Amino acid sequence: MSLRSAVASRNLLYLLSLKELRTRYKKSIMGWAWSLLNPLTQMVIFSIIFLKVFIQIPPTGHPSGIKNFPLFFLCGLLPFNFFSISVGVAIGNVQGGAGLIKKVRFPHEHLVYSVVIAQFVTMLIEFSVLSVALIIGGNMVLPWLVPLLVILVFMTLFTTGVALTFAAANVFFHDVNYLWGILAQLLFYATPIIYDANNPRIPRSLRLIAAHSPTGSFITAVRNVMYDLTMPSLRDFAVIIVYSLSAFAFGTWVFTRLSPRFAEEM
Amino acid sequence: MSDVVLEVDHLTKTFRIHRERANSLKQRIAAKGRNRFDEFTALQDVTFDVSEGEVFGVIGHNGSGKSTLLKCMAGILRPNAGSVRVHRRMSALLELGAGFHPELSGRENVFLNAAILGMGRRDIATRFDEIVAFSGLEKFIDQPVKTYSSGMYVRLAFSVAINVDPRLLIIDEVLAVGDVTFQKRCLEKFVEFRNDGRTIVLVTHDLASVRNMCDRAVWLKQGQVTGEGDPKQLVEAYTESMLGSMQHTETGSTRRGSGELMINQVEMYVGDDPSPVMRFQTGDDVRFRLFYTATKAVPRPIFSLIIDALGGATVSAPCSRDVGLVPDVVSGDGWIDIVMPNISLLPGAYDVHTAVQDFNKQHEYDHLQLAARFDVTTGKPYESSGLVTLRPEWNFTEG
Ligand SMILES: Nc1ncnc2c1ncn2[C@@H]1O[C@H](COP(=O)(O)OP(=O)(O)O)[C@@H](O)[C@H]1O
Ligand SMILES: [Mg+2]
Repeated sequence: MSLRSAVASRNLLYLLSLKELRTRYKKSIMGWAWSLLNPLTQMVIFSIIFLKVFIQIPPTGHPSGIKNFPLFFLCGLLPFNFFSISVGVAIGNVQGGAGLIKKVRFPHEHLVYSVVIAQFVTMLIEFSVLSVALIIGGNMVLPWLVPLLVILVFMTLFTTGVALTFAAANVFFHDVNYLWGILAQLLFYATPIIYDANNPRIPRSLRLIAAHSPTGSFITAVRNVMYDLTMPSLRDFAVIIVYSLSAFAFGTWVFTRLSPRFAEEM
Repeated sequence: MSDVVLEVDHLTKTFRIHRERANSLKQRIAAKGRNRFDEFTALQDVTFDVSEGEVFGVIGHNGSGKSTLLKCMAGILRPNAGSVRVHRRMSALLELGAGFHPELSGRENVFLNAAILGMGRRDIATRFDEIVAFSGLEKFIDQPVKTYSSGMYVRLAFSVAINVDPRLLIIDEVLAVGDVTFQKRCLEKFVEFRNDGRTIVLVTHDLASVRNMCDRAVWLKQGQVTGEGDPKQLVEAYTESMLGSMQHTETGSTRRGSGELMINQVEMYVGDDPSPVMRFQTGDDVRFRLFYTATKAVPRPIFSLIIDALGGATVSAPCSRDVGLVPDVVSGDGWIDIVMPNISLLPGAYDVHTAVQDFNKQHEYDHLQLAARFDVTTGKPYESSGLVTLRPEWNFTEG
């Protein structure tokens, strides 16, 4: 890629990301507040179910000692939402980009990248609010924001890889879109978001799946630094890196192979 | 000879036409991984060069591959063989409008398109006013483009495409849409472009403008180059071929069209009787059977049956598209049945013509004038004059 087209392409990515951020909240009075309202609603619902209906004891952070279900839940929900919303929106964005794809030549992967970037920005805002809540709740998370950022960057690579794969496949088989809706729902429960993967009352095999599935690894690591205030082990880091790099490489490979045929298939 | 700015080199492009729209996993799995598609060659071994400063025309029937060629030039479609090399900054205006995002405003789309065409943000900002002024859409620029009419769409697209300073402009039939004043402004811009020594590749139906404006042209026929060179001679040959393609068949019928998919014969039957007839009565259940042959896979064809009275008035002209009968692809031999129960035609002689067109009725695969003739004799109901009966009920009240 020449320098000139690299610059042009960066500009395009910027505009597309801006569009993603803008179109979502364009006609709303409360604007950005909506972005926070969605996870908060989920938090209220699951807190009531967990604490009042099923009468469970909130997991205790170790060594932080914090014992607060809503905060525990949000530490898992925010990264998971980033992942599942990014993939879902990316699928739609490539499909909805048919008008562009059929008429002009541009790097199609930008339709995916821009979604992930916009969702990443949204997640950062959500995490800032959560950090304040955690500090009020007694967890001094400020120094832990650095490892958090590292984990989120790898999670972004992972998310991008999955989004590229599904978005490309959806051009050829439209039901990938629906498939993803169901898969995301399954993943939500398979990932330790509303429960603690270390809870000894859960069967060991299920715990292993929950903690070491791709989404589970990322969320466990985020919880480690934000809720428990401890560093994930080197092994956990290695798993995260392997997951993110392989997903990114695979997604890039699939997308690069399929995208030259998008224009005629759409 | 000046520099070559565009090289089309043994370009071949084929499309996959899925027999069943296998866009769902279930269908693909049901097909057990067998590739249920036909290959359709839209461009075959096309080669030509365009030199700096030329206005280069591309002519040919609908479906001859002109748009496909331009999309390959623009890098939107990937050729199956051969290559297209572009040596100048290019901007392309393809069929009906640019790549716009319907949800975004005109302003945002201008920025997006200019970015795609390779302009920096500062460049765009300085040219923005110029682009909007040329389009004449100042008032609508902050509305989403999905609210634009097709004319407004094209105006904005054209303004972006020519104001990003391309050295090579490729245009596909877009000028047909805008209003007359805008078309005039575009033509002025073309002239300005040409005087600047820039290059234009133009696809248009308007043969007069090919003759007047182009320095050179190429004629595509079913994806192949039939002629290349002086536009005046080429347009003449092209026009002649359109007229000359009218053929006379042995039965006194005449045939025209590109011929990939033809109606060989039309037969008529009454009720369930398996032997064809040339004569039936008002009120019979009549079945028209159109036998076709496709020499290659034809996507989404439309069949029409035209029934004329002897004087030439068309009595009825049912078309398969009107009832939503659109096969994804037709290949080989077969027939189509059109059943007309309790037929309303009154006694007389009638002529039958058939037409096979593409989905948009832009291209004619086949038109068989006088495919058959039949007589209607007295049946039920009977009326002594007129062409059809509307099955009237009479009431006579004495008061
Ligand atoms: N995406 C596509 N899939 C299948 N067939 C296509 C596709 N695009 C074009 N074709 C076919 O290729 C042929 C050439 O089309 P086109 O280039 O649009 O012709 P023209 O612009 O000369 O009218 C047509 O028969 C058309 O049906
Ligand atoms: Mg065309």
